Amino acid sequence: MVDEPDRLLPIANVGRIMKQILPPSAKISKEAKQTMQDCATEFISFVTGEASDKCHKENRKTVNGDDICWALGALGLDNYAEAIVRYLHKYREAEREKASSRNKATCRSSPEKDEKSSEDKSGQPPQQTEAPTARLAS
Amino acid sequence: MRQAGAYSGILCGGISGRTGPHLLPLARIKKIMKKSGDDVKMISGEAPIVFSKACELFIEELTQRSWLVTMQGKRRTLNKEDVTSAVLATDIFDFLVNLVSET
Repeated sequence: MVDEPDRLLPIANVGRIMKQILPPSAKISKEAKQTMQDCATEFISFVTGEASDKCHKENRKTVNGDDICWALGALGLDNYAEAIVRYLHKYREAEREKASSRNKATCRSSPEKDEKSSEDKSGQPPQQTEAPTARLAS
Repeated sequence: MRQAGAYSGILCGGISGRTGPHLLPLARIKKIMKKSGDDVKMISGEAPIVFSKACELFIEELTQRSWLVTMQGKRRTLNKEDVTSAVLATDIFDFLVNLVSET
């Protein structure tokens, strides 16, 4: 039935999500997983289509996270829309934090290449010239 | 000290196709999005990440509804007909009616 497995979400991943929500003793038939694969793939296409229409009408080329949130609401999937708005917000916050910590790392990169040079008396021990990002991670 | 936040996987994995904290592969999601229509030309980096979560919620809900049907039948194996019944019984899943009726 499935000639192009690439056109669907992977059955192993779909099966895992199904299993996680069911009681431990529950079993899932292979056909049920395949049906869920089809449904979840269709879900993506359906919502993307709606989001893409909106972008097209607004003369925008790129479908973004907000468009998907909007499309979920427009298609009657309001409870998903609300959850995804929150998720997107957290994701964007995490991205901002990542970007700002990267900026701090580049600012702090020590100019001390020569251990003997003592012009910059910042008080930092010489071994910290090697990996400023590693220092942040500790 | 680095604390592993909810999105630490995102920070390491990016959207290179690795799953990170996501349960579904982002590259595959992007492929499906592109195939959904000729209009879909460009997709922002966050879109597949958003869909990964949305699909997870969708699969969870449909699975739970299907399982109710399984239990009504006093069975412990969720089968394809249970999924079909759940789709038919849920208004917001009307877009799937043709899909589940085809097979």
